[in-house]
Amino acid sequence: MSDEKNPLGSTRISPRAIATIAYHAALQSYGVVGLTSKNIVEGWTQVLVKDPTHGIEVTYDGQNIIIDLYVIIEYGTRIKSVASSVRNTVQYSVEKALGMPVEQVNVHVRGLRVSDPD
Amino acid sequence: MSPNPPTTPYANPVQNMRKYPIDGQALKPIIEAALNWLRTNQQTVNALNVFPVPDGDTGTNMVLTMQAAYDEIVDLAERNVGKLAHAVAHGALMGARGNSGVILSQLWRGFARALDNQETLDGPSLVNAFHQGRNTAYKGVVRPVEGTILTVAKDVAAAAEQALAETDDPYDILEIVVPAADVSVQHTPELLAVLRDAGVVDAGGKGLFFLLEGMLRYVKGLPLDTPLATVQPLASMNLQDTMDTIEPGQDFEVVVDFRPAEQLDLIQFYERLEQMGTSIQLGEGDGIYRMHIHVPADKLYEPIEFTKSIGTVTKAAIENLVAQLEDLERERDLKIKLTPVEPGQIATIAVAPGPGIARVFASLGVTAIVEGGQTMNPSTQEILHAFENLPTDQIFILPNNKNIILAAQAAAQLTVKKVTVIPSKTVPQGMAAMMRLVPDGEPEQVADDMKTALTDVETGEITIATRSVEIDGLSVQEGHFIALLNGKLVRSNTSLKDVVLGFLEHAHADHFELITLFFGADINRREVDVIADSIRKIYPEQELEVQDGGQPHYHFIIAIE
Repeated sequence: MSDEKNPLGSTRISPRAIATIAYHAALQSYGVVGLTSKNIVEGWTQVLVKDPTHGIEVTYDGQNIIIDLYVIIEYGTRIKSVASSVRNTVQYSVEKALGMPVEQVNVHVRGLRVSDPD
Repeated sequence: MSPNPPTTPYANPVQNMRKYPIDGQALKPIIEAALNWLRTNQQTVNALNVFPVPDGDTGTNMVLTMQAAYDEIVDLAERNVGKLAHAVAHGALMGARGNSGVILSQLWRGFARALDNQETLDGPSLVNAFHQGRNTAYKGVVRPVEGTILTVAKDVAAAAEQALAETDDPYDILEIVVPAADVSVQHTPELLAVLRDAGVVDAGGKGLFFLLEGMLRYVKGLPLDTPLATVQPLASMNLQDTMDTIEPGQDFEVVVDFRPAEQLDLIQFYERLEQMGTSIQLGEGDGIYRMHIHVPADKLYEPIEFTKSIGTVTKAAIENLVAQLEDLERERDLKIKLTPVEPGQIATIAVAPGPGIARVFASLGVTAIVEGGQTMNPSTQEILHAFENLPTDQIFILPNNKNIILAAQAAAQLTVKKVTVIPSKTVPQGMAAMMRLVPDGEPEQVADDMKTALTDVETGEITIATRSVEIDGLSVQEGHFIALLNGKLVRSNTSLKDVVLGFLEHAHADHFELITLFFGADINRREVDVIADSIRKIYPEQELEVQDGGQPHYHFIIAIE
């Protein structure tokens, strides 16, 4: 739970809500063609899952929000650049929506998708 | 044609180029031209960045990506255009930087794949290459965002396809594609809200446009090293930035708004302006153009005369840059640094009647300043605003004027925060109280200390009588200078100096250690120095400090402690 207290009450944001924001940001990010669940064995059947909690883990230790993304990247793109731009996009979108700082966004590249052999 | 043309095509006007098919070696200088033109306009593209990501600027990223692509082919003697294009794509892939760089590398990848096994590039294969570039780029993202470089690539491919109906000459096709890319870029704000809100076009799309335009400029033999003829959206013109580029001799800034009588020939327009001055910028919005230039004094009116000759001038402004620069520096000096407060700490809000006094309060550690003082009392609301959003609950207010104490107390009633008003009636009292502030201390204890400190200082206020009156046994004429000691009238005279000296005598300044003079906005520094010198002569034992208080109405606010 991410929460913020003020004298009139508190706001709680569930990790699932944060994951949803991250999910949409990730899929708009260039080079990312899918998310996959953390467990690689079941993962391949779930590329492009619509459930935002698959492929995204949000941890909140009371102070810091940490987001882990498990992504499939388009083959033929520069993975390093794609990973850094998805990290920035997700961090920016989540911070903008939440108004709270995101401590870390870890991008785990779980596979590449080959659209065309070349 | 030489295999390695110099970077400035000035020296190498491209002639007869169109007679030969485009092979690998002919494509090379075209790629180089694209890179050079993008580099020339790199800052223009960077300036369009709206997405505040820390991974750098779009223009720079695209230049670095293209540089890597060009490095891959610069020493390549490959004549096969397909193989050369693959080398470009490989270089772009390896050097892809940032989002736009990655997309650019994908465009090249598709472009190259379309040219597989092609010896030379002709019209139909160029169109196919644009098409494949677009397709490959779109495959790399699940939810393409329109209004970006992707949209421009799509529109370029469509324009190329249409062009093929009229011509199969690759140069002619390029000539049709470049304006289409321009139009596409101009439409990006309609597709993407963040661009519309920021009043800019998409940076990546603009970068792609410059790459294509660079190719066309090379073909036409136009220069690639001066950023000629750029028009930016009016909203994105930041003329403040041009202050950094003032060159000696270019002392005046001229800004003209005009509506051209006919389509502007940008290149000619810029060429004429370049004969007059520097820092040329052109913006456009709803048919109105805004032209900005720095010119020397003798060419002051030329830009206006020139724009008059090509259209209707709607507005013209001339400013002296030297004076403006001084203002800017003064403003920078006046920036007040407030002390941040942490949850649980005591935040102090001081009402200050002038910038100099505000600065002194800031240096004493106040958290927020409310402007105000005699005859310009801040409202309860203004005081409330100053502290409502602070991250702490403990608020101390220093009204620094007896007329503001009530407003401060009213503000205290309107908030859930714990507000203590330290009833300082004068600026020196507020400062004396600030000396006792312990932000982490026990609030009640600190408040008591601060209240006690109010009496540590004697306050003098020197102003002009607004009417004739007899008060406290003193008769005062309207327009005379008067001195108040802790709010009580003690001296009146026609000479400012005599009033100040008379006040100090009355306040027994010789019994104290420190005299601080805050001089106001209505008095010049020389007058202040004369008075300060007399004080030093009469009170050699006392330390004298002179500060620019900047307060209105009061020539001096004096603290004696």
